[in-house]
Amino acid sequence: MYAIRIIGVEKNFGEVIALSNIHLEIEKGEFFTLLGPSGCGKTTLLRTIAGFCKQDKGDIYIEDELINEVPAYQRNTAMVFQNYAVFPHMTVFDNVAYGLRVRKLTKEVITQRVRTALKSVHLEGFEDRTPDKLSGGQQQRVGLARAMAIEPRVLLFDEPLSNLDAKLRIEMREEIKAVQKSLGITSIYVTHDQEEALVISDRIAVMNQGRIQQVGKPWEIYRNPQNTFVASFVGKINMLTLKLGPGAGLRYRQATTGKVSLNIPAQGTEQLDSIIVAFRPEDVVEVSSKDRSNTITGFLRTVSFMGSIARFEVDVEGQLLTIDRHRPRELDIPPIHSQITFSVPPESILLFDPSSGKRLAQEERP
Amino acid sequence: MKGKSQTIDLWTLVTFAGFVIVVVFLIYPLLDIFRYSFIDKDSGEVSLGNWIQFFSKKYYLRAFTNSILIAVATTFFSIVLGVPLAFFTTRYRIAGSTFLTTLSVLALLSPTFIGAYSWITMLGKNGFIRTLFQSIGITLPQIYGPLGIVLADTLQYYPFILLMTSGALMTIDRSLEEASENLGARPGRIFFDVTLPMVLPSVTGGALIVFMMSLSNFGTPMIIGGNFLVLPTLAYNLFTSEISETPGMASTVSIILMLCASLVIVLQQWLASRRKYASMLINRPVVKKLKGLRSVLAHALCYGIVFLSTLPLAVIVYYSFRKTSGPVFQPGFSLDSYRQIFFDVPKTVTNSFLYSLIAVLLIATVGTLLGFVIARKKKGVVRVLDTLLMIPYIVPGTVLGIGFIVAFNRPPLYLTGTAVIIILTYFIRRLPYSVRSAASILKQIDPALEEAGINLGSPPGRTFRTITLPLMQGGIISGAIMSWVTSMNELSASILLYVGQTMTMPIKIYLSVVDGFFGTASAMSTILLFVTGLSMYIVNRYFSRGSETFVSA
Repeated sequence: MYAIRIIGVEKNFGEVIALSNIHLEIEKGEFFTLLGPSGCGKTTLLRTIAGFCKQDKGDIYIEDELINEVPAYQRNTAMVFQNYAVFPHMTVFDNVAYGLRVRKLTKEVITQRVRTALKSVHLEGFEDRTPDKLSGGQQQRVGLARAMAIEPRVLLFDEPLSNLDAKLRIEMREEIKAVQKSLGITSIYVTHDQEEALVISDRIAVMNQGRIQQVGKPWEIYRNPQNTFVASFVGKINMLTLKLGPGAGLRYRQATTGKVSLNIPAQGTEQLDSIIVAFRPEDVVEVSSKDRSNTITGFLRTVSFMGSIARFEVDVEGQLLTIDRHRPRELDIPPIHSQITFSVPPESILLFDPSSGKRLAQEERP
Repeated sequence: MKGKSQTIDLWTLVTFAGFVIVVVFLIYPLLDIFRYSFIDKDSGEVSLGNWIQFFSKKYYLRAFTNSILIAVATTFFSIVLGVPLAFFTTRYRIAGSTFLTTLSVLALLSPTFIGAYSWITMLGKNGFIRTLFQSIGITLPQIYGPLGIVLADTLQYYPFILLMTSGALMTIDRSLEEASENLGARPGRIFFDVTLPMVLPSVTGGALIVFMMSLSNFGTPMIIGGNFLVLPTLAYNLFTSEISETPGMASTVSIILMLCASLVIVLQQWLASRRKYASMLINRPVVKKLKGLRSVLAHALCYGIVFLSTLPLAVIVYYSFRKTSGPVFQPGFSLDSYRQIFFDVPKTVTNSFLYSLIAVLLIATVGTLLGFVIARKKKGVVRVLDTLLMIPYIVPGTVLGIGFIVAFNRPPLYLTGTAVIIILTYFIRRLPYSVRSAASILKQIDPALEEAGINLGSPPGRTFRTITLPLMQGGIISGAIMSWVTSMNELSASILLYVGQTMTMPIKIYLSVVDGFFGTASAMSTILLFVTGLSMYIVNRYFSRGSETFVSA
């Protein structure tokens, strides 16, 4: 039994396609993230699951119950809101107790559950405070406790950390993950922050323009992106469009632009005369001379020191590529405008079809 | 360095001027009233006689209880009309809801006495609705007295509740109601758990304003009240009959009226300071579509309420185009009434426009300068000035009129009978609104913009002129237009201060109604309504900050 099944869901707002043919199956206890840029439909999908928004087509099942016609207040899908939505006219206790009172639980049970919920978000002793005396982070903890307290079938998170400052965001995401794992409640988490998605999720669905682009574990999303959108949205990547030389039937084909010339696996390129070659900044190896194959040479434009790495921007044939140097030392940084040569290990190269943006079908990468 | 010393002088000068204005034109007249309330009318000696009389004679006490009664009833019915109307127009799709709001704001801004007078033409002794019912054998009660005052007041002031409640309803973050629903609350429960508590501060805020307006309203009870006296009409009657003597009793009544008003203001300020539901508005509430019978009923309710409050205005316009012969209406239509105005009393019309224009120029200039000082300089002296500028809120027009007469009827400032004194009442009555609105506009302008100007080498005075002022412009102009409207329609103070030469349109309307010249009154009222409507249109069209302009500016 899946915790949630979404089958062929579509939603349009007038002319705008918000959701297009969405299919998803989410396991019980899974931490599932919808990741994408703003306007990609991720929040609409979340609100459709919560019942604030009704799909034009398709079915949604929660624990095998078809909920298309169930009103939002009967779905038992507790949401943590982007702007907290903590009731300003109620104390912390009353906020957390709200859903329990609606469910007409006994006083003892309510007190007990509120205590437990507040404890798990580290807000013991805040029961009688009013929300205006709480920081943003504390308000969001109240929101989380309030959602947990009703012991929902699914926890929904609508960009819950986007209004917090960077440090608190990192702290809170660890906490959310810990609470979720300890309770084992199925969770759907919406964010546009790819790092947050990678850290927090069991699985991620990357969305763009109302469509799901790829579903997979964080590793798969980052290492095995299935199209140029996923590759460039999750993490930093360099993309070069190269012309393919002759070589049908060979194991490798030559791909060139200007002075850059790379040997790429020929498998899957038979029908193409150009190709997108992509690689991540951390995968390149700087080399001193041109004696190795698959090298690229350019001129250093900027150096950004980021602590654990130094990020170089290198001008290659008029295009800026990004490469990372690990464990950088100040003395070893080459001067600006100097020539830089690096090579890309063949196993780190991703190939995409320039016309469709899709990954070329090749052997599974290690 | 020269620039710096200059601007310090400018703002000190403004603060000083502010104090002079407040002391001379507010504190001095009010102290005079205070003093007279302790002077025996006959002997001219200091005594508590007036105060003892007020609290021992039924005649005076009744006016007090009447006032409270009227204000309470008006507030109650305004809530009954305003809150549902606000809820339906903001949360459900009502066709033409902007139009409805505009019409009710027109009713709110129209001169207070027009509504009262119009209801007389409908439900007075010879009112046409009453005559109509008479002909089919039904005798309706006459409208004079408390019933008429509450009716006219309610239909005029309920838009305050409407506007403030709609404002609150539109700014509740949708997430709050969604959170409630998400946690299992049914629609009805969401309303009582979340929506209502969130708008309650605005409803009570609006209610207090209505209470206050109704309490100090002079025109309506004067025209439609008959023998039913309330504090402002009592003060007026006492004063006009005491005029040759010292205005002792009228002063006492004035002070009591002011005390009531201050109580309301204190309550309102306390409430406003408690309200802290401001949320970062990310998600606006959704407007739902109603279907079938529900939609019909909702439309009927909204249109019904607004129709009722617009009806008096429509009747006035209609009568202004009726044929007249002296005070009697004849069958058929003509422009007689308008012709009469422009031949007989053109000066009244020009006076109204001229005085209001001068007053508005003063109000806008002084208000903006003082608003800047109050918003940006938070020194102790400025705080005192800010508090003193609250005084006009609690001084009903009648009281200010009495104060101006007693204070400026003798040297050193002999102003009675001049146009200056009327312009000054307009100025003083509107100044606090103008200061407040300028200050609040300024608070929305990031001080960093001014700092940027100064940082780039522009001295503070020049920065104000080239950066701050242009950003404030829209707000200042819309505020000025609102001041213009209230000045054009001012009656309660100017009726005590006018002489034949300085008569204005509202005064002429009042006198025409009293003398039974309904044609002239209708035509002049129509002119005022037109000016009011046009001003509203201009504000809406060119300077719209939403309907809040009409509540706060």
